[in-house]
Amino acid sequence: MAKKRKRGGGPRKQGGKPAQASASPKPARTDDDAKLGSDDKPKSQPAKAVEPPDDKPQSRGALRRQAARSDRAARPVSPRGPAPDPIFWFGFEVPWAKLLVARVVVFALLAIDALMQIEHAPRYGAGGFNVAQLPLLDALAPGRILYSAGQLVLAYLFVLVACGALTRYALPIATAIYGWLYFASHLDSYQHHYLVFLILVIACFVPWERPAGATASTPVRSWALRLLYIQLALLYLWAAVSKMNAAWLDGKALSMQMTGTVRSMIDATIGIKGAAWLVLISELVLAATVWNKRTWVIAAPLGVALHAGILATSLDIGLFAWLMLGLYLLVLPDRVFERFARATPREDRTHDGVLLWIALIMAGAVGILLAAISRFDHGFAVGLVAFAAVVVATALLRRRVSVARLAIAHVLAFGVWTAVDRTTKTASDYYRLWGGSAKRLGDPKTSEAAYRRMTEIAPDEEGGHYQLGKLLLERGADDEGIAELHKAQDVGPLKARAYLAEARWLATKGRTEEAIAKAREATIVEPNDQEASALLNSLLPK
Amino acid sequence: MNPVAHLKALWSTWRGRFILAFLAVQLVLPLHYYLLRHDPHDERFAWRMFSPMRMSRCSARFSVDKQPVQLGTQFHEAWIEVANRGRYVVLEGMAEKLCTDNPGKPVELSVDCTYLDRPDAHFGHADMCKEPEL
Repeated sequence: MAKKRKRGGGPRKQGGKPAQASASPKPARTDDDAKLGSDDKPKSQPAKAVEPPDDKPQSRGALRRQAARSDRAARPVSPRGPAPDPIFWFGFEVPWAKLLVARVVVFALLAIDALMQIEHAPRYGAGGFNVAQLPLLDALAPGRILYSAGQLVLAYLFVLVACGALTRYALPIATAIYGWLYFASHLDSYQHHYLVFLILVIACFVPWERPAGATASTPVRSWALRLLYIQLALLYLWAAVSKMNAAWLDGKALSMQMTGTVRSMIDATIGIKGAAWLVLISELVLAATVWNKRTWVIAAPLGVALHAGILATSLDIGLFAWLMLGLYLLVLPDRVFERFARATPREDRTHDGVLLWIALIMAGAVGILLAAISRFDHGFAVGLVAFAAVVVATALLRRRVSVARLAIAHVLAFGVWTAVDRTTKTASDYYRLWGGSAKRLGDPKTSEAAYRRMTEIAPDEEGGHYQLGKLLLERGADDEGIAELHKAQDVGPLKARAYLAEARWLATKGRTEEAIAKAREATIVEPNDQEASALLNSLLPK
Repeated sequence: MNPVAHLKALWSTWRGRFILAFLAVQLVLPLHYYLLRHDPHDERFAWRMFSPMRMSRCSARFSVDKQPVQLGTQFHEAWIEVANRGRYVVLEGMAEKLCTDNPGKPVELSVDCTYLDRPDAHFGHADMCKEPEL
């Protein structure tokens, strides 16, 4: 809460230097303003540097306090004036540059994460079974198509938000879609996705777009940001509470979750029990420090170290550790951003000149082209819908949106689609997992279609050809099936399974010599494959 | 500002009421796990990442009319994974589907769990169609 320590105050100009007291009338001072002394409070009534008497040597503390006062005086005044009570919430401010950097990084990460979730789409609706996290959503549960399309839309919207385009509309829509996909099924009960949903809800109330005339150091006031920090603190607190038991404190629980290099490092240094205690203490310290500006100097390095440590483990939590590291941009001390971002960006232009409309149409064309070459299921359809939505939004909101910014964001969104599509196996994994689940659930026709599509978009992946070949042989399409197995052997020359599948098929056809030759090839490409050795031995004459 | 005045000031605006509601939910949901939740395996909304319970392993077996069910042919493996964490509501949902698909036949559920921080447990019902809740 606000300190009642008396501080000097006076008017000053935005932009840094204190104004001369005589240059402008002193604004009315309220009780709330009088409390604005700590670093947590808005700088609507900044402190005035107090000159020390010349005849006394200054203590180090006095020098430090004077430096802090000068620092505060040098910062710009909040353009929104005094904050209403409670100032803890409604007077919370961060520099615009910090908000901008966090917006770009966090929402870009969320966009990438959304695209990488698409591979899980085939499990939604598979076998006609679902249990919703919220029973109300049982009837609205997404199937494979809606889930993958929803993630594509999410990725698109997150890029718009990262670019600061249509944030007031894109973010609530993205939050609703995210919540629907998350709460409509127990399939996704990852707690970090729940955290992302909560962050999105809070983020709907954060002023992500640049205030008019704002420079990098202009304070942006947001109670929602304060709530976000409190949310993080609560998360750490409850996480620590869950670890206050013998199974965690003796290192047993951590031991079962830590493998690889990090585990070796732990064993070689503080030991697993020490690490367990360290995690618990770190979470308690973060709970106490992450929400308070004055303690960010503790929270930032500790939190970054904790999440970087999690990142170095082999835990299957997707981009969550990266996302947390992105959120820690908001925990870095404000002065970091004030020092690194001095430039004043240009004002956005919101008029609807012909040139900007031409730019939007060109952006739309590029977007549609990228969507057309996308390997994501239904990517083209979603791309068309996104373009139509942008045109409608621009027409309806043309006085309130920057068409140029929207056009750039539109192209960037599809650029992110393309980048993730072409640099990861998400699209082919989607078809691989779809084909696998359909096969297990007794739907070979769907499985064949999925694997066939996989071989089209990822002809260099052995798995698609192998599975398609097996399915084709099972339904009697021998020539095509063998051809697919040969392709699998070509692109995966060090895997025995396609050779084995062919050897078995040859054996069932009574072509024993050829089967032995193929099984022998299998033992050559994978000498340690026991199945290959067993098959060869079973085929060889006794 | 004293805490009461702080709360009153918060309550006087929609933003403040949103904050209070949000914080209440963040207090109540984790507390619900510790105080009221019937299913200890269901750690959702309680921020129990990497908890000892997360390390529990269960083995869920269904049978329909005394015949064991191959779960992999009935449910996606992701559901089987959730079931093998012992989550009641998912096990109940799976049983409900088996009851619907096999009308008039008893669906038995038998689950064995091993934990890090508590003794092993066994639960289930002889006929989930008649007794659908764990």
